[in-house]
Amino acid sequence: MRTIHGTAAAALVALAAGAVLGGCAAVKASDRGYLADPIMERQDHFSKQSLEQKFFSSREGSIGGAAGIGGGCGCAK
Amino acid sequence: MRRGGSHIRRTAIVLIPVTALWTAAQAGEGEMGFTNYYFTDSGANKVITTSFNMAKKLLEQTSLLIDIELDRVTVPPITATTGASRPQREKNLPFEKSRGQVILGVEQGIGPNVTVAANFYRSQEVDYVSNAVVGTFSVDMFRKNTTLTLRGQYNSDKVGEILESGLVYNQNKYVFTGAANLTQVLSPTTVLDLAYDVVYLKGLLSDPYLQVSVINDEGGTVLVDQLHPSKRTRHAGTARISQFIPSIRATLIGSYRYYGDTWSVHSHTGELKLNKYVTGDLVFGVDYRYYTQTGSYFYLPQYTGDYYTTTGYRTVDYKLKPFVSNNFGLDLSLMLRAFGKPGSELEFLGNSSIELTYFRYFNSLDFSADIIQFAIRFSI
Repeated sequence: MRTIHGTAAAALVALAAGAVLGGCAAVKASDRGYLADPIMERQDHFSKQSLEQKFFSSREGSIGGAAGIGGGCGCAK
Repeated sequence: MRRGGSHIRRTAIVLIPVTALWTAAQAGEGEMGFTNYYFTDSGANKVITTSFNMAKKLLEQTSLLIDIELDRVTVPPITATTGASRPQREKNLPFEKSRGQVILGVEQGIGPNVTVAANFYRSQEVDYVSNAVVGTFSVDMFRKNTTLTLRGQYNSDKVGEILESGLVYNQNKYVFTGAANLTQVLSPTTVLDLAYDVVYLKGLLSDPYLQVSVINDEGGTVLVDQLHPSKRTRHAGTARISQFIPSIRATLIGSYRYYGDTWSVHSHTGELKLNKYVTGDLVFGVDYRYYTQTGSYFYLPQYTGDYYTTTGYRTVDYKLKPFVSNNFGLDLSLMLRAFGKPGSELEFLGNSSIELTYFRYFNSLDFSADIIQFAIRFSI
């Protein structure tokens, strides 16, 4: 339990640190062309990743840590 | 022949709304995707999935999201080796079932930096029904260099068991999820993503079909239903960094994920992916994923004693055993922007692509799987 709570706390600290760092980064919108390239996989509304995650969640004991919704199975449990 | 017809019928069920929505979507912006997914594993299980999805801007700051997914699942006759889950009824025949899923969502922008979204999810199969509502809040900060997304989700599931009589006996499962994602632009070529989830589950958290072999106090072997605790809390955190490399027109994406839960399952996942332009519109991708997990505190290779025939937790679920897995993936994406010149009749192809993906998965429990996926995505 201690490990889990420690990890949760570390994750929250990292999120907060990232938010603070955000104030330091100053990349202009006009300089973000590379970041919008499709191969950066930034636009994952319904990407293949969701089906891959569905497979992993049906075969492995840990899920979560990635955005997305779901439930049920539809897999060979 | 029946299977072929069934697949054509499922594809038609998806294509009909696709055609209707395509017609309705001629004005405005959005994206649309059609995906076929084929899965087979070393236990002869098969899953064929056909899905359609669309994100469509209706008003200036309002978008509609639709996702429809149909699965056909085939589980082979029970053998000593597969461990596959299925009803005991007619166990000498392959068990086939279908699953339908629909996600409906609305996304609303509030000013230039804030977006809220609400989604409803329903998944249904003969022995499993899941309903979920999801709320999402997203805010861009620091001149859109930072995006914070918060998400809450509630699932109410009916976990069914098909009895020998053919009737279905349902039990409840509830899932509460809270998640936070942070995306940070670090440079004109680098993005960092951080994510944290906490999930609380209660209710029937065991597969009702699985049975455990227990050696009782008299030395005999008895089969009893699997029994898991009725509550579980999961925590997961992921860090991902995406680096564009202009000199070779490629992207390197690396991620690490840690997971821990109150059943003492802990896992580490590392993944590395390279996407590279082969030509101006053809992208080749290769990735490798390594995963390792510990077993749950109540997993034992062999359960001995009458305690395990009554209230003692017992499992044969492979997801609760310690193991290591590897996954190799290859994909090819052809972008159709060359055909979508602005002002032409094929302008909608400007942000469209055709994708072919293959990945092979294998783990230390002697399980392996091959997955092939074909997808077409359009901007509309």
